[in-house]
Amino acid sequence: MNKLEIDWTRCDGHGLCAGLVPDDILLDEWGFPVLRGREITAGELSDARRAVLACPALALRLTNR
Amino acid sequence: MITVDDTRVIGEARVLAGLDQGRLDLQRHLLTHGSLPVLTRDQYTKLCEAVGLRGRGGAAFPVALKLQDLPARGVEAVVVNGSESEPVSRKDRLLLTQSPHLVLDGAVGLAHALGAPHVLIAVHDARAAVSIREALMERDDRLAIEVQETPGRFVAGEARAVLSALEGGNAVPPGRRVLPTRKGYHRRPTFLSNVETFAQLAVLARLGSRGFSSTGLISEPGTQLLTIDGAVQRPGVIETPTGIPLDTVLQYAGAQAGPVLLGGYHGRWLPQTEGVTLQRPEVSAGIILALGSDTCPLGEITRVTQWLSSQSAGQCGPCVFGLAALVDDFARLTAGDPRGWHDAHRHLGLVPGRGACAHPDGTARFLTSALEVFDDDVQHHLTGRGCGRPVLGVLGGTR
Repeated sequence: MNKLEIDWTRCDGHGLCAGLVPDDILLDEWGFPVLRGREITAGELSDARRAVLACPALALRLTNR
Repeated sequence: MITVDDTRVIGEARVLAGLDQGRLDLQRHLLTHGSLPVLTRDQYTKLCEAVGLRGRGGAAFPVALKLQDLPARGVEAVVVNGSESEPVSRKDRLLLTQSPHLVLDGAVGLAHALGAPHVLIAVHDARAAVSIREALMERDDRLAIEVQETPGRFVAGEARAVLSALEGGNAVPPGRRVLPTRKGYHRRPTFLSNVETFAQLAVLARLGSRGFSSTGLISEPGTQLLTIDGAVQRPGVIETPTGIPLDTVLQYAGAQAGPVLLGGYHGRWLPQTEGVTLQRPEVSAGIILALGSDTCPLGEITRVTQWLSSQSAGQCGPCVFGLAALVDDFARLTAGDPRGWHDAHRHLGLVPGRGACAHPDGTARFLTSALEVFDDDVQHHLTGRGCGRPVLGVLGGTR
């Protein structure tokens, strides 16, 4: 199953991901992403991929396990 | 401050055997423990499985599972994690300074069984490093054994941070979650465990599963090392059978009545000690802190939180900002501000699971249990008058 994952050592809280996949990622009060932790369905996959590519810190990842 | 010389035993002395007359050099080590039998990898795995041996560094992972997870060949290194970054813990540096050969026996015996060419020993304490180097001069193990001093930061003791330091990098946990058994030292399969685990392995190899099981719990027989500190008359390291009642240990160390923190700064508060037995995973790395009744619990907890916040590696946003916010929340709560209480609850939900290592999770566990156990004190403080007790600093933390 596909899931979003964050490399916390890389994430600097740019916040782009929350704009691109608002159903899966919220921002906390410091601007860092909070994952909803749910599965990424096939239909959402292209949006999720776009968010992964858009991350300026290369911190967002899509895992398949 | 506990010195490593304050050692005591309840029941049978195993890993601390022979230490009543001081440090064990090779000759006295062999007189006390006898020589290490040569065992195969299979025998080590079976022994660990039979006695349910768990890692003694805090995570309490079953050693047999760790051994089974290693590939059949190509194991690069056996790593002894002696960084002991829990500020209260003294058991690992005690073993390294007083009984270094027992630890080396465990690591070397396993390295031979696994066919690993390297044994790496990560040490933080200077005396421990000298002792282990002295011990290495006395023996010939036909292996590349290296002693390396690692930084003392709390997070630097995390297994993957230790590996990173051993490879010459920064002692911080990496962002990807990888198992050392698959990708450890130089991304090669590695067996890594805590100092006491290796000492227990050396004892287990000598005694066999039946001999090892003559004391302690049925589910996890043998002995364990505990470090007790705080509001106690005789702080120090104690070897006890597993599953010993907490009250026995508290009485033995002369602890004041009051709440007890079990498992160190990442542990849990116990509202009462009656009927609690000491076993993994609850006992974690074996740290018992007695609070006593003369000090302000919330003030003490705030000090520890300050220290924990200062020990963040500074890599992960939720840990950096979240722990700093929690320090502020608890300071305001202690001063009687109800918004501090609300913010603390919200921030405790935001911190766990959002970092490269378990530091935010452990800190949140400590604080969540504190809010539960000290609810009466919280109510006192929220009236604005405080609890009327000074903050004595019995738990350590920020000076």
